[in-house]
Amino acid sequence: MLISYNWLRDYCETQFSPDELRERLTMVGLAIDAVERHNSDSVLDVEVPSNRPDCLSHVGIGREVAVIAGKEVRLPRVESFKTEGRAEDLTAVEIKDVDLCARYAARLVRGVKIAPSPDWLVQRLETIGQRPINNVADVTNYVLHELGQPLHAFDFHKLAGPRIVVRRAAPGEKLKTLDGLERTLTNEMLVIADAERPVALAGIMGGEESEISESTTDVLIESAYFEPNSVRRTARQLGMDTEASRRFERGADIEGVLRAQERCVQLICELAGGVASEDSIDIYPRRFEPRTINLRPHRVRDLTSLSVQPVDVVRILTGLQFNVSEEGEQLICTVPSWRIDVEQEEDLVEEVARHTGFDKITDQLPPASASGEYQPSEMKQRLLRRAFNAFGFDEAINFSFIERETQFEPIPLLTTGEVQQPLLKNPIIEEAAFMRYTLLPGLLNSLRHNLNHGIRDVRLFEIGRVFAMTSLGELPAERLALAVVATGGANEANKAQAERDLDFFDVKGALETAIDWMSLSPLSFTQTAAAHLRAGQSARIKLNDGTEIGTIGRLAESVAANYKFRYPVYVLELDLDTLLNGPARVVQYAPLPRYPSVVRDISLLLDRSVSLDELLNVVKDRQVADFRSVKLVGIFEGGNIPSSKRSVTLRLEYRSDERTLRDQEIEERHAQLTSSLLDTFAAEQR
Amino acid sequence: MAEEQTEQLPAQQVEAAGKAFEQEFERFARFGDAAQLAGLDLDAALAEQRALSELRTRHLGKKSALAAAKKLVGRVAAEERPAFGQLVKEIEDKVVLELDAVELNLKNQIEEKRTARETIDVTLPGRRPPYGHRHPITLLRERIEDIFVALGYVIEDGREIETDFYNFTALNIPDNHPARGEADTFYTNDGFALRSQTSTVQIHAMQRRGVPIRMIAPGRVFRRDTPDPTHNPMFYQVEGLCVDRGITMGHLKGTVTEFLRRMFGADTVTRFRPSYFPFTEPSAEFDFSCFKCKGAGCRICKNSGWIELGGSGMVHPNVLRAVGVDPQEFSGFAFGLGIDRMCALMYELDDIRLLFENDVRFLEQFE
Repeated sequence: MLISYNWLRDYCETQFSPDELRERLTMVGLAIDAVERHNSDSVLDVEVPSNRPDCLSHVGIGREVAVIAGKEVRLPRVESFKTEGRAEDLTAVEIKDVDLCARYAARLVRGVKIAPSPDWLVQRLETIGQRPINNVADVTNYVLHELGQPLHAFDFHKLAGPRIVVRRAAPGEKLKTLDGLERTLTNEMLVIADAERPVALAGIMGGEESEISESTTDVLIESAYFEPNSVRRTARQLGMDTEASRRFERGADIEGVLRAQERCVQLICELAGGVASEDSIDIYPRRFEPRTINLRPHRVRDLTSLSVQPVDVVRILTGLQFNVSEEGEQLICTVPSWRIDVEQEEDLVEEVARHTGFDKITDQLPPASASGEYQPSEMKQRLLRRAFNAFGFDEAINFSFIERETQFEPIPLLTTGEVQQPLLKNPIIEEAAFMRYTLLPGLLNSLRHNLNHGIRDVRLFEIGRVFAMTSLGELPAERLALAVVATGGANEANKAQAERDLDFFDVKGALETAIDWMSLSPLSFTQTAAAHLRAGQSARIKLNDGTEIGTIGRLAESVAANYKFRYPVYVLELDLDTLLNGPARVVQYAPLPRYPSVVRDISLLLDRSVSLDELLNVVKDRQVADFRSVKLVGIFEGGNIPSSKRSVTLRLEYRSDERTLRDQEIEERHAQLTSSLLDTFAAEQR
Repeated sequence: MAEEQTEQLPAQQVEAAGKAFEQEFERFARFGDAAQLAGLDLDAALAEQRALSELRTRHLGKKSALAAAKKLVGRVAAEERPAFGQLVKEIEDKVVLELDAVELNLKNQIEEKRTARETIDVTLPGRRPPYGHRHPITLLRERIEDIFVALGYVIEDGREIETDFYNFTALNIPDNHPARGEADTFYTNDGFALRSQTSTVQIHAMQRRGVPIRMIAPGRVFRRDTPDPTHNPMFYQVEGLCVDRGITMGHLKGTVTEFLRRMFGADTVTRFRPSYFPFTEPSAEFDFSCFKCKGAGCRICKNSGWIELGGSGMVHPNVLRAVGVDPQEFSGFAFGLGIDRMCALMYELDDIRLLFENDVRFLEQFE
């Protein structure tokens, strides 16, 4: 809101320069965005907090300046003017919807001459960016910026009746507003009507038909109080935002209605001639009751640590025009009608504190109490991030809203049955109206973004919440998920190593490393189909207690095609909440071997369907004496091996804790294991 | 051969051996002057070193002429033996001295050439495994958490889709407040709100933990802003809450200032301006002295020397009442600031949409 420095000084004496005022007003809570010179004046752009509609005028700002400067605010003096005839003999006012209009006052000025405003008025309005129109319209605008009360002038002879009816619009009723647009109204909207039809949108804008014109001789001046929510709702619905609506929707001064009207009428008589009605028709069905709040002065110190002398507390509050009386230890404060924001003791504390100065409050740390605490899984999550970083994965963050998705299998435990994405009632991005139940679409879009920019090697992971409807009217399920997408080379080609395309095992290896870093129990992977994964290259991830937590694999062609991916993409998604709370790895010391161990390799020609896990399980289950460990040495396919088979080479370690094993003992034990494997899998030894 | 040798006197034989050495050594003699080696490359120098080594074996080894001559001492008359011994020593010493001098020079030359050949370009990039990066928001969040844990705060988080009660009512946001409107807050079809601030977490935490409490809630929040260079419909913020007996605005100012000093440097200055938020009373916005220009005025602080960062205040009594805390006994402060905004300031981002585009060329600039 723009405030003219010269105009402001009509209401309060101040020695402060515009720049000083900027600083001082900012420090009482009226931030000044800018101070600009305008001819011989300065214009202050004040950012008025939403709970302070009383500051949306020169007098309103003047009240604050007066307290800062230790002066009194001087209200504009209403000079006497010519009056004749009682208003109720000339017109009538009826409020039909008292819930939306608590006060309506109408007063007439007859015999005006519409003309341009005098220079001083034109200048004042122009200084604060208002466009002058004619003397009557300009006066209503001037008083709005002077006192903060929106006013409206009707051409009295255009009003049928001639009377004023404040009522809800009939559904579909139409009104052409001053901006020339025809508005279709609903019965939630309050209008000012004459005997027949709407003539103004209450508190927002007048109608074109009853607008002041050069031929206007008699005017009806409206000054009213409209219910804030009703004005806000109507303005929003019609996409309107006016000087009047901005003030009514935050809350006008219901007690200031007549004073503003009188000031307006006086200025009209002065500038446009005419004779005013002796009085106003003032319909005021819901009387204002002033609020009284007790302030215990020690509460100022309790809440702010400021020591303010009682005399200063009283000075500040009376300066702000609270009525203050002492009663024992307490101050009984009557709140001025325009201070709709002051409702309780803490609000008074704030008044005292901001006019004493927040800068006077000494910085101190609260005395130590409890010790700090991270979220239980925070340190694990940090390790998880760093583990994926160590494998070249960048951390991504995507919006929580996505398109409707059906291609991806949700993580277990998010939902039972088919997943229902929560739908947004009011999305801001049209194609992202659903809450994500999987992180993968976001990551795949990010992947596509990078590929489109010519980056071929992309590895991303994201940690974030996913959502699913439970039942209607219940809060949706939310779980923390981890997802990974990767494509391109596994490493950058250099002299030391040739480039290799990334594959399933790069993603799996990164996850396994993360699990190790987090000291969690190892995961198991079982080959299973999943909707979004390519058959034969997809697995379910399980905790060692068998709980399924997610899937890993190569993105199915059908999904990849939607994103126009031409190279293999590997993805992983799991339920991070469950993983982080999963069993920890138990570390127990094993004595170091005292006798040497011996290793024997065995190569088996097996059916491709036999998994390494199955092989290893047989080895372990056989419980051959002195067998210690087994590991995979290599897998050979192709060449002279039939396509349905592959050759697997295992390295078995034998060792005794009692003595060095003799060759013959080792051969015996190894033969036992070898025959078990050959028998179990109908394998050939190579 | 042996016959011939026997014909010569032992001393003659010794002298002959010395001469034979001198003859063969002649081609190496110039290497006694190190400058003469300068023209030799590494391979030539190594060849010379080998030749010299053979020469040494031939003339000083067990099978050398000199060694053979020495054995003739028995045939020398007793009174001539000292002179014979003296002769042998002189010749032997000379041979050794000459060989050693050349050998040392050769060795130095070889070392020099080898060093030259094996010199590396230390400016070549170091060998590193591929390394990924944390998101800049994560970097800041972790730093903020570390600071507040050190100050005795617990970290809390909660749901992102919330009921009206937690998102608004408990925070004293009136029914008609614009923040509740569909223009500002996202709603699901069945009327739940995407949390518009992490204050929701404060309510849950106070209900669960009771008071006194010191906590911060970093997290993802949603507001219905169309994406543009300075807005996103989703962003990260951190809200702090401290409720105890005797908590004042002095503690609020002290805590926020301490945090910002740890974040931006010990010379950081803060400024608190009165403001309005429904959930605090009194309320204040806080600014801090520009970390870039230290208050002199620059692009980041729009020449004001101050950077606006967040909102704060004393917890509104209605908020305390909503979780069953008596505002006459307990008081508290709360503050909130945007992590994305901090990120934009610190890294001078001119378009915060980059934060959620996940372009690896962007992500790899941090950490």
